[in-house]
Amino acid sequence: MKRLALLLPLLLWSHGAHAHPHVMVGVTSEVVFVDGKVTAIRHHWTFDDMYSAFVTANLGQDGKDPTTQELQPVAQTNVESLREFDYFTVPKMNGKKAPFAAPKDYSMTFDSADKTATLHFTVPLAEAAQSKLFVFQVYDPSYFVAFAFKPGDPVTLTNAPQGCSLSVSKPKSLESEDSKKLNESFFSGLSPGSDFGAKLADRAIVACP
Amino acid sequence: MTRATLMRLAALMGAIALAAWAADAAMAQGLTPPARNPFSVGVSEGGGQYTGLLGWIMARQMEFERALSGAVRAIRTTGGGFWTLAGLSFAYGVFHAAGPGHGKAVVAAYMIANEKALKRGIIISGLAALLQGFVAIAIVGVLALLLGAAAAQMREAAQWVEIASFAGIAAFGAMLALRKGRALARTLRPPAPASRFVCEAVDGDEDHVHGPDCGHSHMPDPSTLGKPRLEWRDAVLTVITAGSRPCSGAILVLVFSLAQGIFYAGVAAAFAMAIGTAITTAALATMAVLAKGLALRLTGGAASRRGEIVARALEFAAACLVLALGLALLLGFTLAGL
Repeated sequence: MKRLALLLPLLLWSHGAHAHPHVMVGVTSEVVFVDGKVTAIRHHWTFDDMYSAFVTANLGQDGKDPTTQELQPVAQTNVESLREFDYFTVPKMNGKKAPFAAPKDYSMTFDSADKTATLHFTVPLAEAAQSKLFVFQVYDPSYFVAFAFKPGDPVTLTNAPQGCSLSVSKPKSLESEDSKKLNESFFSGLSPGSDFGAKLADRAIVACP
Repeated sequence: MTRATLMRLAALMGAIALAAWAADAAMAQGLTPPARNPFSVGVSEGGGQYTGLLGWIMARQMEFERALSGAVRAIRTTGGGFWTLAGLSFAYGVFHAAGPGHGKAVVAAYMIANEKALKRGIIISGLAALLQGFVAIAIVGVLALLLGAAAAQMREAAQWVEIASFAGIAAFGAMLALRKGRALARTLRPPAPASRFVCEAVDGDEDHVHGPDCGHSHMPDPSTLGKPRLEWRDAVLTVITAGSRPCSGAILVLVFSLAQGIFYAGVAAAFAMAIGTAITTAALATMAVLAKGLALRLTGGAASRRGEIVARALEFAAACLVLALGLALLLGFTLAGL
Protein backbone atom coordinates (compact mmCIF):
# COMPACT_ATOMS: atom_id res chain seq x y z
CA MET A 1 0.00 0.00 0.00
CA LYS A 2 2.91 2.30 0.75
CA ARG A 3 4.04 2.17 -2.80
CA LEU A 4 0.56 2.99 -4.03
CA ALA A 5 0.55 6.03 -1.75
CA LEU A 6 3.77 7.12 -3.41
CA LEU A 7 2.28 6.70 -6.85
CA LEU A 8 -0.77 8.80 -6.17
CA PRO A 9 0.85 12.27 -6.10
CA LEU A 10 2.69 11.38 -9.29
CA LEU A 11 -0.57 10.51 -11.00
CA LEU A 12 -2.15 13.74 -9.81
CA TRP A 13 0.84 15.72 -10.93
CA SER A 14 0.76 14.22 -14.38
CA HIS A 15 -2.90 15.14 -14.55
CA GLY A 16 -2.34 18.72 -13.49
CA ALA A 17 0.25 19.66 -16.07
CA HIS A 18 -2.14 20.23 -18.88
CA ALA A 19 -2.11 23.75 -20.23
CA HIS A 20 0.73 24.51 -22.56
CA PRO A 21 0.82 27.57 -24.79
CA HIS A 22 2.75 27.18 -28.03
CA VAL A 23 2.11 30.53 -29.61
CA MET A 24 2.57 33.93 -28.02
CA VAL A 25 0.77 36.98 -29.35
CA GLY A 26 1.45 40.60 -28.43
CA VAL A 27 -1.78 42.55 -28.83
CA THR A 28 -2.49 46.18 -29.65
CA SER A 29 -6.06 47.23 -30.34
CA GLU A 30 -7.97 50.29 -31.45
CA VAL A 31 -11.47 50.93 -30.23
CA VAL A 32 -13.23 52.64 -33.13
CA PHE A 33 -16.05 55.12 -32.54
CA VAL A 34 -18.48 56.50 -35.10
CA ASP A 35 -20.89 59.27 -34.05
CA GLY A 36 -20.04 58.72 -30.41
CA LYS A 37 -20.77 54.99 -30.52
CA VAL A 38 -18.38 52.07 -30.33
CA THR A 39 -18.55 50.33 -33.72
CA ALA A 40 -15.51 48.07 -34.01
CA ILE A 41 -12.24 46.79 -32.61
CA ARG A 42 -9.21 46.86 -34.86
CA HIS A 43 -6.61 44.33 -33.76
CA HIS A 44 -2.89 44.13 -34.48
CA TRP A 45 -1.53 40.81 -33.30
CA THR A 46 2.22 40.24 -33.39
CA PHE A 47 3.29 36.59 -33.24
CA ASP A 48 6.43 35.36 -31.50
CA ASP A 49 9.44 34.75 -33.72
CA MET A 50 9.08 30.97 -33.82
CA TYR A 51 5.46 30.96 -34.90
CA SER A 52 6.19 33.85 -37.29
CA ALA A 53 8.84 31.69 -38.95
CA PHE A 54 6.32 28.86 -39.26
CA VAL A 55 3.46 30.88 -40.67
CA THR A 56 5.64 32.71 -43.22
CA ALA A 57 7.82 29.73 -44.17
CA ASN A 58 8.82 29.71 -47.85
CA LEU A 59 6.37 32.47 -48.74
CA GLY A 60 8.97 35.11 -49.66
CA GLN A 61 10.48 35.09 -53.15
CA ASP A 62 14.09 33.87 -53.42
CA GLY A 63 14.66 33.69 -49.69
CA LYS A 64 13.57 37.28 -49.14
CA ASP A 65 11.11 38.25 -46.44
CA PRO A 66 7.51 37.84 -47.60
CA THR A 67 5.63 40.91 -48.75
CA THR A 68 2.20 41.94 -47.48
CA GLN A 69 0.80 40.77 -50.79
CA GLU A 70 2.41 37.35 -50.43
CA LEU A 71 0.98 37.11 -46.92
CA GLN A 72 -2.58 38.06 -47.91
CA PRO A 73 -3.78 34.43 -48.28
CA VAL A 74 -2.44 33.67 -44.79
CA ALA A 75 -4.26 36.67 -43.36
CA GLN A 76 -7.47 35.56 -45.03
CA THR A 77 -7.24 31.97 -43.76
CA ASN A 78 -6.45 33.19 -40.26
CA VAL A 79 -9.30 35.68 -40.09
CA GLU A 80 -11.77 33.17 -41.54
CA SER A 81 -10.83 30.47 -39.07
CA LEU A 82 -10.88 32.96 -36.20
CA ARG A 83 -14.63 33.38 -36.62
CA GLU A 84 -15.30 30.01 -34.97
CA PHE A 85 -13.33 31.23 -31.98
CA ASP A 86 -15.05 34.63 -31.83
CA TYR A 87 -11.69 36.23 -32.63
CA PHE A 88 -10.54 35.27 -29.12
CA THR A 89 -12.08 38.58 -28.15
CA VAL A 90 -14.76 39.03 -25.52
CA PRO A 91 -16.35 42.50 -25.67
CA LYS A 92 -18.86 43.62 -23.09
CA MET A 93 -21.09 46.61 -23.62
CA ASN A 94 -22.47 47.98 -20.35
CA GLY A 95 -21.96 44.55 -18.81
CA LYS A 96 -23.58 42.56 -21.64
CA LYS A 97 -21.74 40.45 -24.16
CA ALA A 98 -21.70 42.19 -27.55
CA PRO A 99 -21.78 40.00 -30.68
CA PHE A 100 -19.53 40.58 -33.70
CA ALA A 101 -20.28 41.05 -37.39
CA ALA A 102 -18.04 39.73 -40.20
CA PRO A 103 -14.40 40.85 -40.05
CA LYS A 104 -12.89 43.23 -42.60
CA ASP A 105 -9.73 45.07 -43.64
CA TYR A 106 -7.39 42.20 -42.88
CA SER A 107 -3.75 41.88 -43.80
CA MET A 108 -0.48 40.48 -42.51
CA THR A 109 2.81 42.33 -42.40
CA PHE A 110 6.31 41.04 -41.74
CA ASP A 111 8.85 43.03 -39.74
CA SER A 112 12.27 42.31 -41.21
CA ALA A 113 14.16 43.60 -38.18
CA ASP A 114 12.30 41.54 -35.57
CA LYS A 115 11.45 38.69 -37.95
CA THR A 116 7.90 38.75 -36.65
CA ALA A 117 4.57 38.63 -38.45
CA THR A 118 1.64 40.82 -37.46
CA LEU A 119 -1.97 40.11 -38.33
CA HIS A 120 -4.18 43.19 -38.72
CA PHE A 121 -7.97 42.97 -38.85
CA THR A 122 -11.13 44.78 -37.85
CA VAL A 123 -14.09 43.12 -36.18
CA PRO A 124 -17.17 45.34 -36.21
CA LEU A 125 -19.74 44.99 -33.46
CA ALA A 126 -23.03 43.66 -34.79
CA GLU A 127 -24.73 46.68 -33.27
CA ALA A 128 -23.00 49.96 -32.59
CA ALA A 129 -24.05 51.18 -29.18
CA GLN A 130 -23.82 54.20 -26.98
CA SER A 131 -21.50 52.92 -24.35
CA LYS A 132 -20.98 54.09 -20.83
CA LEU A 133 -18.78 51.13 -20.14
CA PHE A 134 -17.10 49.11 -22.85
CA VAL A 135 -14.77 46.33 -21.70
CA PHE A 136 -12.92 43.80 -23.77
CA GLN A 137 -10.44 41.00 -23.24
CA VAL A 138 -8.38 38.97 -25.66
CA TYR A 139 -7.62 35.39 -24.65
CA ASP A 140 -7.66 31.78 -25.80
CA PRO A 141 -9.58 29.67 -23.27
CA SER A 142 -7.72 26.54 -24.39
CA TYR A 143 -4.47 28.34 -23.80
CA PHE A 144 -2.81 27.12 -26.97
CA VAL A 145 -2.19 30.78 -27.72
CA ALA A 146 -0.99 33.14 -24.98
CA PHE A 147 -2.36 36.61 -25.67
CA ALA A 148 -1.07 39.66 -23.82
CA PHE A 149 -1.32 43.37 -24.43
CA LYS A 150 1.99 44.83 -25.55
CA PRO A 151 3.79 47.12 -23.10
CA GLY A 152 3.34 50.86 -23.51
CA ASP A 153 -0.03 52.01 -24.81
CA PRO A 154 -1.50 48.85 -26.30
CA VAL A 155 -5.05 50.20 -26.60
CA THR A 156 -6.02 53.42 -28.34
CA LEU A 157 -9.35 55.13 -28.92
CA THR A 158 -10.12 56.30 -32.45
CA ASN A 159 -12.58 59.11 -32.93
CA ALA A 160 -13.80 58.86 -29.34
CA PRO A 161 -16.18 61.52 -27.98
CA GLN A 162 -14.95 64.04 -25.43
CA GLY A 163 -14.49 62.78 -21.92
CA CYS A 164 -13.97 59.06 -22.65
CA SER A 165 -11.30 57.45 -20.54
CA LEU A 166 -9.32 54.30 -21.06
CA SER A 167 -7.54 51.94 -18.73
CA VAL A 168 -5.77 48.66 -19.31
CA SER A 169 -5.37 46.23 -16.45
CA LYS A 170 -2.94 43.37 -16.37
CA PRO A 171 -4.14 40.42 -14.29
CA LYS A 172 -3.20 40.72 -10.65
CA SER A 173 -1.66 37.76 -8.99
CA LEU A 174 -4.60 35.53 -8.25
CA GLU A 175 -6.68 36.44 -5.26
CA SER A 176 -6.32 34.04 -2.37
CA GLU A 177 -9.84 32.75 -3.02
CA ASP A 178 -8.88 31.95 -6.61
CA SER A 179 -5.68 30.24 -5.60
CA LYS A 180 -7.66 28.10 -3.22
CA LYS A 181 -10.01 27.20 -6.05
CA LEU A 182 -7.07 26.27 -8.23
CA ASN A 183 -5.60 24.08 -5.54
CA GLU A 184 -8.92 22.36 -4.98
CA SER A 185 -9.36 21.79 -8.67
CA PHE A 186 -5.83 20.44 -8.84
CA PHE A 187 -6.64 17.77 -6.30
CA SER A 188 -10.14 17.01 -7.52
CA GLY A 189 -9.07 17.04 -11.15
CA LEU A 190 -12.03 19.25 -12.03
CA SER A 191 -11.95 22.55 -13.82
CA PRO A 192 -12.05 25.52 -11.45
CA GLY A 193 -14.69 27.20 -13.59
CA SER A 194 -15.08 28.49 -17.09
CA ASP A 195 -14.43 32.09 -16.12
CA PHE A 196 -10.87 31.32 -15.22
CA GLY A 197 -9.38 32.28 -18.56
CA ALA A 198 -11.12 35.64 -18.29
CA LYS A 199 -9.71 36.22 -14.83
CA LEU A 200 -6.18 35.66 -16.04
CA ALA A 201 -6.50 37.77 -19.19
CA ASP A 202 -5.59 41.40 -19.68
CA ARG A 203 -8.58 43.73 -19.73
CA ALA A 204 -9.20 47.02 -21.51
CA ILE A 205 -11.86 49.30 -20.03
CA VAL A 206 -13.35 52.26 -21.88
CA ALA A 207 -15.64 54.53 -19.91
CA CYS A 208 -17.60 57.30 -21.62
CA PRO A 209 -19.83 59.95 -20.09
CA MET B 1 -13.01 -9.45 8.02
CA THR B 2 -10.15 -11.73 7.25
CA ARG B 3 -6.85 -10.53 5.96
CA ALA B 4 -7.53 -12.10 2.60
CA THR B 5 -10.83 -10.23 2.23
CA LEU B 6 -9.11 -6.97 3.09
CA MET B 7 -6.45 -7.62 0.51
CA ARG B 8 -9.03 -8.42 -2.10
CA LEU B 9 -10.85 -5.21 -1.30
CA ALA B 10 -7.66 -3.20 -1.51
CA ALA B 11 -6.77 -4.73 -4.86
CA LEU B 12 -10.22 -4.03 -6.19
CA MET B 13 -10.00 -0.41 -5.11
CA GLY B 14 -6.57 -0.11 -6.63
CA ALA B 15 -7.78 -1.47 -9.93
CA ILE B 16 -10.77 0.89 -9.92
CA ALA B 17 -8.55 3.88 -9.14
CA LEU B 18 -6.18 2.96 -11.95
CA ALA B 19 -9.01 2.50 -14.43
CA ALA B 20 -10.59 5.80 -13.34
CA TRP B 21 -7.34 7.64 -13.75
CA ALA B 22 -6.74 6.15 -17.17
CA ALA B 23 -10.31 6.90 -18.25
CA ASP B 24 -9.90 10.43 -16.98
CA ALA B 25 -6.74 10.90 -18.99
CA ALA B 26 -8.57 9.57 -22.01
CA MET B 27 -11.48 11.95 -21.45
CA ALA B 28 -9.19 14.92 -21.01
CA GLN B 29 -7.52 14.06 -24.29
CA GLY B 30 -10.23 12.61 -26.37
CA LEU B 31 -13.76 13.50 -25.45
CA THR B 32 -13.28 17.22 -25.74
CA PRO B 33 -13.31 17.59 -29.51
CA PRO B 34 -9.97 19.08 -30.44
CA ALA B 35 -11.20 22.13 -32.31
CA ARG B 36 -8.71 23.40 -34.84
CA ASN B 37 -7.06 26.39 -33.32
CA PRO B 38 -6.51 28.98 -36.07
CA PHE B 39 -2.86 29.18 -35.04
CA SER B 40 -2.24 25.46 -34.68
CA VAL B 41 0.78 23.84 -36.22
CA GLY B 42 -1.39 20.99 -37.48
CA VAL B 43 -1.68 18.73 -34.47
CA SER B 44 -4.56 19.23 -32.09
CA GLU B 45 -2.64 20.16 -29.00
CA GLY B 46 -3.44 22.50 -26.22
CA GLY B 47 -7.14 21.83 -25.68
CA GLY B 48 -6.24 22.33 -22.07
CA GLN B 49 -8.45 23.13 -19.16
CA TYR B 50 -7.55 25.54 -16.47
CA THR B 51 -6.44 22.99 -13.95
CA GLY B 52 -3.72 22.93 -11.40
CA LEU B 53 -0.57 24.94 -10.96
CA LEU B 54 -1.69 26.82 -14.00
CA GLY B 55 0.12 30.09 -13.55
CA TRP B 56 3.37 28.39 -12.80
CA ILE B 57 3.19 26.09 -15.79
CA MET B 58 2.21 28.87 -18.16
CA ALA B 59 5.11 30.97 -17.01
CA ARG B 60 7.61 28.11 -17.37
CA GLN B 61 6.32 27.18 -20.79
CA MET B 62 6.64 30.70 -22.10
CA GLU B 63 10.12 31.06 -20.64
CA PHE B 64 11.06 27.82 -22.36
CA GLU B 65 9.77 28.94 -25.73
CA ARG B 66 11.53 32.28 -25.45
CA ALA B 67 14.73 30.64 -24.28
CA LEU B 68 14.56 28.15 -27.17
CA SER B 69 14.21 30.81 -29.83
CA GLY B 70 16.89 32.87 -28.07
CA ALA B 71 19.27 29.90 -28.13
CA VAL B 72 18.69 29.28 -31.83
CA ARG B 73 19.38 32.94 -32.59
CA ALA B 74 22.51 32.87 -30.42
CA ILE B 75 23.91 29.96 -32.41
CA ARG B 76 23.39 31.92 -35.58
CA THR B 77 24.85 35.21 -34.37
CA THR B 78 27.67 34.01 -32.12
CA GLY B 79 28.21 30.47 -33.36
CA GLY B 80 28.16 29.23 -29.76
CA GLY B 81 25.40 28.04 -27.47
CA PHE B 82 24.74 24.75 -29.18
CA TRP B 83 24.73 22.88 -25.89
CA THR B 84 22.48 25.49 -24.34
CA LEU B 85 19.93 24.76 -27.03
CA ALA B 86 20.34 21.00 -26.57
CA GLY B 87 19.95 21.29 -22.79
CA LEU B 88 16.91 23.53 -23.07
CA SER B 89 15.30 21.22 -25.59
CA PHE B 90 15.92 18.24 -23.35
CA ALA B 91 14.28 20.01 -20.41
CA TYR B 92 11.41 21.07 -22.67
CA GLY B 93 10.90 17.42 -23.63
CA VAL B 94 10.79 16.24 -20.01
CA PHE B 95 8.51 19.05 -19.00
CA HIS B 96 6.19 19.05 -21.96
CA ALA B 97 5.62 15.31 -21.80
CA ALA B 98 4.45 15.65 -18.20
CA GLY B 99 0.88 16.37 -19.25
CA PRO B 100 -1.41 13.47 -20.02
CA GLY B 101 -1.06 12.69 -23.70
CA HIS B 102 -2.47 9.87 -25.71
CA GLY B 103 0.99 8.57 -26.51
CA LYS B 104 1.67 7.98 -22.86
CA ALA B 105 -1.76 6.43 -22.41
CA VAL B 106 -1.02 3.95 -25.19
CA VAL B 107 2.36 3.01 -23.72
CA ALA B 108 0.91 2.63 -20.21
CA ALA B 109 -1.98 0.54 -21.50
CA TYR B 110 0.40 -1.63 -23.48
CA MET B 111 2.50 -2.17 -20.37
CA ILE B 112 -0.57 -3.24 -18.41
CA ALA B 113 -1.96 -5.34 -21.23
CA ASN B 114 1.26 -7.12 -22.01
CA GLU B 115 4.18 -7.02 -19.85
CA LYS B 116 6.15 -8.06 -17.15
CA ALA B 117 9.44 -6.76 -18.38
CA LEU B 118 10.15 -3.23 -17.27
CA LYS B 119 13.13 -3.02 -19.59
CA ARG B 120 10.93 -3.49 -22.61
CA GLY B 121 8.61 -0.69 -21.49
CA ILE B 122 11.50 1.68 -21.18
CA ILE B 123 12.84 0.74 -24.61
CA ILE B 124 9.39 1.17 -26.14
CA SER B 125 9.02 4.60 -24.51
CA GLY B 126 12.40 5.62 -25.85
CA LEU B 127 11.68 4.44 -29.37
CA ALA B 128 8.24 6.10 -29.41
CA ALA B 129 9.78 9.41 -28.34
CA LEU B 130 12.53 9.13 -30.94
CA LEU B 131 9.96 8.37 -33.62
CA GLN B 132 8.04 11.45 -32.57
CA GLY B 133 11.14 13.59 -33.04
CA PHE B 134 11.88 11.90 -36.33
CA VAL B 135 8.36 12.57 -37.71
CA ALA B 136 8.69 16.27 -36.91
CA ILE B 137 12.09 16.36 -38.63
CA ALA B 138 10.67 14.52 -41.64
CA ILE B 139 7.68 16.86 -41.98
CA VAL B 140 9.79 20.01 -41.79
CA GLY B 141 12.84 18.57 -43.57
CA VAL B 142 10.99 17.09 -46.53
CA LEU B 143 8.21 19.64 -46.92
CA ALA B 144 9.80 22.94 -45.93
CA LEU B 145 13.46 22.31 -46.71
CA LEU B 146 13.33 20.08 -49.78
CA LEU B 147 9.97 20.96 -51.34
CA GLY B 148 9.77 24.58 -50.23
CA ALA B 149 6.28 24.09 -48.81
CA ALA B 150 4.50 26.73 -46.76
CA ALA B 151 2.82 26.48 -43.37
CA ALA B 152 -0.49 25.39 -44.88
CA GLN B 153 1.04 22.24 -46.40
CA MET B 154 2.99 21.39 -43.25
CA ARG B 155 -0.18 21.82 -41.25
CA GLU B 156 -2.06 19.53 -43.58
CA ALA B 157 0.65 16.87 -43.47
CA ALA B 158 0.71 16.98 -39.68
CA GLN B 159 -3.08 16.62 -39.65
CA TRP B 160 -2.98 13.53 -41.84
CA VAL B 161 -0.29 11.96 -39.68
CA GLU B 162 -2.49 12.71 -36.71
CA ILE B 163 -5.63 11.12 -38.20
CA ALA B 164 -3.61 8.06 -39.19
CA SER B 165 -2.17 7.76 -35.70
CA PHE B 166 -5.62 8.04 -34.08
CA ALA B 167 -6.99 5.37 -36.42
CA GLY B 168 -3.93 3.27 -35.63
CA ILE B 169 -4.61 3.54 -31.90
CA ALA B 170 -8.22 2.40 -32.40
CA ALA B 171 -7.20 -0.54 -34.59
CA PHE B 172 -4.43 -1.58 -32.23
CA GLY B 173 -6.85 -1.34 -29.30
CA ALA B 174 -9.45 -3.46 -31.10
CA MET B 175 -6.87 -6.12 -31.84
CA LEU B 176 -5.61 -6.19 -28.26
CA ALA B 177 -9.14 -6.19 -26.82
CA LEU B 178 -10.12 -9.16 -28.96
CA ARG B 179 -7.06 -11.14 -27.95
CA LYS B 180 -7.21 -10.19 -24.27
CA GLY B 181 -10.97 -10.72 -24.14
CA ARG B 182 -10.51 -14.29 -25.37
CA ALA B 183 -7.80 -14.91 -22.79
CA LEU B 184 -10.06 -13.56 -20.04
CA ALA B 185 -12.98 -15.73 -21.17
CA ARG B 186 -10.75 -18.80 -21.09
CA THR B 187 -9.53 -17.97 -17.60
CA LEU B 188 -13.06 -17.43 -16.32
CA ARG B 189 -14.15 -20.89 -17.44
CA PRO B 190 -14.10 -23.12 -14.35
CA PRO B 191 -11.13 -25.47 -14.25
CA ALA B 192 -12.08 -28.96 -15.37
CA PRO B 193 -12.05 -31.77 -12.82
CA ALA B 194 -8.60 -33.28 -12.70
CA SER B 195 -9.93 -36.82 -13.04
CA ARG B 196 -10.97 -36.23 -16.63
CA PHE B 197 -7.52 -36.32 -18.11
CA VAL B 198 -8.71 -35.56 -21.63
CA CYS B 199 -9.80 -32.13 -20.56
CA GLU B 200 -7.14 -30.98 -18.19
CA ALA B 201 -7.01 -27.24 -18.66
CA VAL B 202 -3.63 -25.66 -18.41
CA ASP B 203 -4.25 -22.47 -16.52
CA GLY B 204 -2.89 -19.40 -18.22
CA ASP B 205 -1.35 -21.20 -21.15
CA GLU B 206 -2.74 -19.33 -24.09
CA ASP B 207 -1.18 -21.79 -26.49
CA HIS B 208 -2.87 -24.83 -25.06
CA VAL B 209 -6.59 -24.27 -25.14
CA HIS B 210 -9.45 -26.71 -25.15
CA GLY B 211 -12.66 -26.08 -27.03
CA PRO B 212 -16.00 -26.12 -25.23
CA ASP B 213 -16.35 -29.80 -26.05
CA CYS B 214 -13.03 -30.43 -24.37
CA GLY B 215 -11.35 -31.52 -27.53
CA HIS B 216 -8.70 -29.67 -29.32
CA SER B 217 -6.69 -29.93 -32.42
CA HIS B 218 -2.95 -29.84 -32.28
CA MET B 219 -2.73 -27.97 -35.49
CA PRO B 220 -1.23 -24.65 -34.51
CA ASP B 221 -3.77 -21.83 -34.40
CA PRO B 222 -2.49 -19.19 -36.80
CA SER B 223 -3.37 -16.40 -34.37
CA THR B 224 -1.13 -17.82 -31.68
CA LEU B 225 1.57 -19.16 -33.93
CA GLY B 226 4.92 -17.80 -32.99
CA LYS B 227 4.10 -16.01 -29.75
CA PRO B 228 7.38 -14.10 -29.63
CA ARG B 229 6.61 -12.70 -33.04
CA LEU B 230 3.19 -11.60 -31.79
CA GLU B 231 4.79 -9.78 -28.90
CA TRP B 232 7.22 -8.12 -31.27
CA ARG B 233 4.38 -6.98 -33.42
CA ASP B 234 2.60 -5.51 -30.40
CA ALA B 235 5.75 -3.69 -29.35
CA VAL B 236 6.28 -2.23 -32.82
CA LEU B 237 2.62 -1.17 -33.06
CA THR B 238 2.87 0.49 -29.66
CA VAL B 239 5.90 2.47 -30.76
CA ILE B 240 4.19 3.55 -33.97
CA THR B 241 0.81 4.48 -32.48
CA ALA B 242 2.32 6.24 -29.48
CA GLY B 243 5.06 8.03 -31.34
CA SER B 244 3.88 8.95 -34.82
CA ARG B 245 2.15 12.22 -33.93
CA PRO B 246 4.71 15.03 -33.88
CA CYS B 247 4.68 17.69 -31.19
CA SER B 248 4.12 21.34 -32.02
CA GLY B 249 7.18 22.48 -30.08
CA ALA B 250 9.50 20.36 -32.22
CA ILE B 251 7.92 21.56 -35.47
CA LEU B 252 8.22 25.19 -34.39
CA VAL B 253 11.87 24.96 -33.35
CA LEU B 254 12.70 23.14 -36.61
CA VAL B 255 11.02 25.72 -38.82
CA PHE B 256 12.59 28.52 -36.84
CA SER B 257 16.11 27.08 -37.23
CA LEU B 258 15.43 26.58 -40.91
CA ALA B 259 14.45 30.25 -41.23
CA GLN B 260 17.68 31.17 -39.42
CA GLY B 261 19.64 29.04 -41.87
CA ILE B 262 20.84 26.53 -39.25
CA PHE B 263 18.51 23.57 -39.75
CA TYR B 264 20.98 21.19 -38.08
CA ALA B 265 20.46 23.02 -34.78
CA GLY B 266 16.72 22.35 -35.05
CA VAL B 267 17.35 18.68 -35.77
CA ALA B 268 19.58 18.42 -32.70
CA ALA B 269 16.95 20.23 -30.62
CA ALA B 270 14.19 17.89 -31.83
CA PHE B 271 16.25 14.86 -30.82
CA ALA B 272 17.11 16.38 -27.44
CA MET B 273 13.38 16.96 -26.89
CA ALA B 274 12.75 13.32 -27.81
CA ILE B 275 15.23 12.11 -25.19
CA GLY B 276 13.54 14.28 -22.57
CA THR B 277 10.12 12.98 -23.59
CA ALA B 278 11.42 9.41 -23.42
CA ILE B 279 12.39 9.85 -19.78
CA THR B 280 8.94 11.06 -18.74
CA THR B 281 7.15 8.37 -20.73
CA ALA B 282 9.44 5.68 -19.35
CA ALA B 283 8.59 6.85 -15.84
CA LEU B 284 4.92 6.43 -16.64
CA ALA B 285 5.48 2.96 -18.13
CA THR B 286 7.33 2.05 -14.95
CA MET B 287 4.39 3.22 -12.83
CA ALA B 288 2.02 1.13 -14.93
CA VAL B 289 4.11 -2.00 -14.41
CA LEU B 290 4.49 -1.36 -10.67
CA ALA B 291 0.75 -0.79 -10.30
CA LYS B 292 -0.08 -4.00 -12.09
CA GLY B 293 2.51 -5.94 -10.08
CA LEU B 294 1.06 -4.55 -6.88
CA ALA B 295 -2.48 -5.55 -7.83
CA LEU B 296 -1.28 -9.06 -8.61
CA ARG B 297 0.70 -9.41 -5.38
CA LEU B 298 -2.26 -8.28 -3.32
CA THR B 299 -4.45 -10.90 -4.93
CA GLY B 300 -2.04 -13.70 -4.26
CA GLY B 301 0.34 -13.60 -7.20
CA ALA B 302 -0.11 -14.46 -10.84
CA ALA B 303 0.24 -18.16 -10.11
CA SER B 304 -3.05 -18.45 -8.23
CA ARG B 305 -6.32 -18.71 -10.09
CA ARG B 306 -7.62 -15.46 -8.60
CA GLY B 307 -4.41 -13.68 -9.49
CA GLU B 308 -4.73 -15.02 -12.99
CA ILE B 309 -8.26 -13.66 -13.34
CA VAL B 310 -7.22 -10.26 -11.98
CA ALA B 311 -4.28 -10.15 -14.38
CA ARG B 312 -6.42 -11.06 -17.39
CA ALA B 313 -9.14 -8.60 -16.37
CA LEU B 314 -6.61 -5.78 -16.02
CA GLU B 315 -5.12 -6.62 -19.39
CA PHE B 316 -8.53 -6.69 -21.02
CA ALA B 317 -9.50 -3.36 -19.41
CA ALA B 318 -6.28 -1.76 -20.62
CA ALA B 319 -6.87 -3.05 -24.14
CA CYS B 320 -10.44 -1.70 -24.12
CA LEU B 321 -9.07 1.63 -22.96
CA VAL B 322 -6.72 1.87 -25.94
CA LEU B 323 -9.65 1.13 -28.23
CA ALA B 324 -11.87 3.73 -26.52
CA LEU B 325 -9.09 6.30 -26.61
CA GLY B 326 -8.47 5.76 -30.30
CA LEU B 327 -12.18 6.02 -31.13
CA ALA B 328 -12.65 9.11 -28.97
CA LEU B 329 -9.68 10.85 -30.56
CA LEU B 330 -10.81 9.91 -34.04
CA LEU B 331 -14.39 10.93 -33.37
CA GLY B 332 -13.39 14.18 -31.69
CA PHE B 333 -11.25 14.86 -34.66
CA THR B 334 -14.04 14.37 -37.14
CA LEU B 335 -16.48 16.35 -35.00
CA ALA B 336 -14.03 19.23 -35.00
CA GLY B 337 -14.72 19.46 -38.72
CA LEU B 338 -11.15 18.70 -39.72
